[in-house]
Amino acid sequence: MLKIENLFLKQGSFVLQKLSFEVEKNSYFVILGKTGSGKTMLLEAIAGLKKIEGSMYCDGKDITNMPPEKRNFGFVYQDFKLFPNMSVRENITFSSKYKKIENQKELFSDLIDFLGIKNILDRNIMYLSGGEKQRVAIARAIFSRPKLLLLDEPLSAVDPTFRNSIMKSLKDIVTRYDITIIHVTHNFREASYLADNIAIILDGKILQIGRADEVLNQPTSIEVARFLGFKNIFSTSHLGFDQQNRFFSIDPNRISFSNEVVEGNYNFACTIDTIMGISDHYKVFANSKDLHFFAKIHKSIFGNLNLREGQHYFININKKDIAFI
Amino acid sequence: MIKDKGFILVFLFLSSVIILFLTIPLIKLFMSVGLFGVVDSLKDAEVYSSIFLTLKTALYAVLFVCLTGIPLAYLIARYEFFGKSILESIIDIPVMVPHTAAGIALLIAFDNGYVGKILSFFGIGFIDTTTGIAAAMMFLSAPFLINSAKEGFKKVDVEYENVARTLGASKFSTFFRIVLPNSRNDIINGALMMWSRGLGEFGAVVIIAYHPMVAPVLIFDRFNSYGLKYSAPVAAAMILVSICLFLAIRTVNNKFK
Repeated sequence: MLKIENLFLKQGSFVLQKLSFEVEKNSYFVILGKTGSGKTMLLEAIAGLKKIEGSMYCDGKDITNMPPEKRNFGFVYQDFKLFPNMSVRENITFSSKYKKIENQKELFSDLIDFLGIKNILDRNIMYLSGGEKQRVAIARAIFSRPKLLLLDEPLSAVDPTFRNSIMKSLKDIVTRYDITIIHVTHNFREASYLADNIAIILDGKILQIGRADEVLNQPTSIEVARFLGFKNIFSTSHLGFDQQNRFFSIDPNRISFSNEVVEGNYNFACTIDTIMGISDHYKVFANSKDLHFFAKIHKSIFGNLNLREGQHYFININKKDIAFI
Repeated sequence: MIKDKGFILVFLFLSSVIILFLTIPLIKLFMSVGLFGVVDSLKDAEVYSSIFLTLKTALYAVLFVCLTGIPLAYLIARYEFFGKSILESIIDIPVMVPHTAAGIALLIAFDNGYVGKILSFFGIGFIDTTTGIAAAMMFLSAPFLINSAKEGFKKVDVEYENVARTLGASKFSTFFRIVLPNSRNDIINGALMMWSRGLGEFGAVVIIAYHPMVAPVLIFDRFNSYGLKYSAPVAAAMILVSICLFLAIRTVNNKFK
């Protein structure tokens, strides 16, 4: 549906560096990255709000230099940007002055039912809550019947109690309104719930792209692994492999301790540095030569292990629990 | 809060000094003339037409700057370009120049030079005309509107414009439907400031057009020819009309906020 080739965009000292990717029709595509990694800039470039180098195609048509009003892409900003000089109803129907929208009345009533904003239509936007503003902004964008909906951190200004219901609505939009969505966020939970496909963007570069479960569980670089919160990332040479530039990670919940070597597992002789009790588990920090392991031991098991700070043990890692990067 | 009492008293005292300084001359003026004096003065055809001419020419100046200065203010507020700081300084120059000097500069530029010849080719005179009066008012008061509009545009986040564009609005339509309405208060305040500044313009106007007489020139002329007794009612009438107009405009603007 959308194909981007070698997109290059420089703004001040920040650069989006030769990005290439494709977004399938009627898919939910999440761009995941830290704050300041260029996510909003990329969305604005896709919307035609920034002049880019490279090429951009929508349904096979070159849209690289097409102005934003001709692209038919909807945009919802993080803080929604509802027009302050208009009521909720006027905001939603803003696009009807510029576009011929089929079945306008039916679409309007369907949208206000679907998003639950029937009772606030004539309200001044100054008096809406974050969640209401967000739903109005989404309604406004969908009412313009876009082919592609661009969402810039749409859940960050929404009360956490409403996030789940809004996430469900967002997921339903794709099939209900026949729209492809590109959603940028820094939140893994949002990404794992919503995404069909994920691209990881860091410092203006796309580091990994693919099916959501693949990207979130099998990072292909140490930067992505660190960004996704993988712990205990070490060189595979510590497992006896030759390659110096490959890494593995072990989930802190999958580390166990013993007083002797366990056959069939990877074992690391270690000294326990610190033990911290946290609600239902203990955080254990252990050093094995120059490797610093972090383990989480559930309180129900911790008593049997009899772990003490400064004592020597073996860290046991089951081979099947290792994630290679 | 109790500890704030001394601070508040000092500030109230200092504020009351400037409030009295600003209001006493006006109060004294109205007291010396009286309401009937003002009404009689407004019945005087020369005074009436002079006040009307002042309001009209100052309004022409404001409208011209709305048409040309607002686009300039938008460009300055939205874009970075070479020489932007210099351009902003140039816009502010008229505020610093003595008004009579500005009148002389206008006279040289528009009455004699190439610009003057082009204007006279189109039948636009400069000396002793309403065009000349409006130009003098505009030269010295345009920065008020341009700077105020610029600040107003800066307050409207460019992301509002971006959203409007993605919803199908062109750049022009976005400007008229989103940018202008949301910076309306600053533009109206700037326009009122410019208009009021234009109404009071004397130095530059008197160089370019002694006749037809705008109110400040008429007040000066009556003071010079007949003394305080004949000039004070005209001054009071001019001030009263201005205050009433500004109050009306502000009330209407606040009603449609």
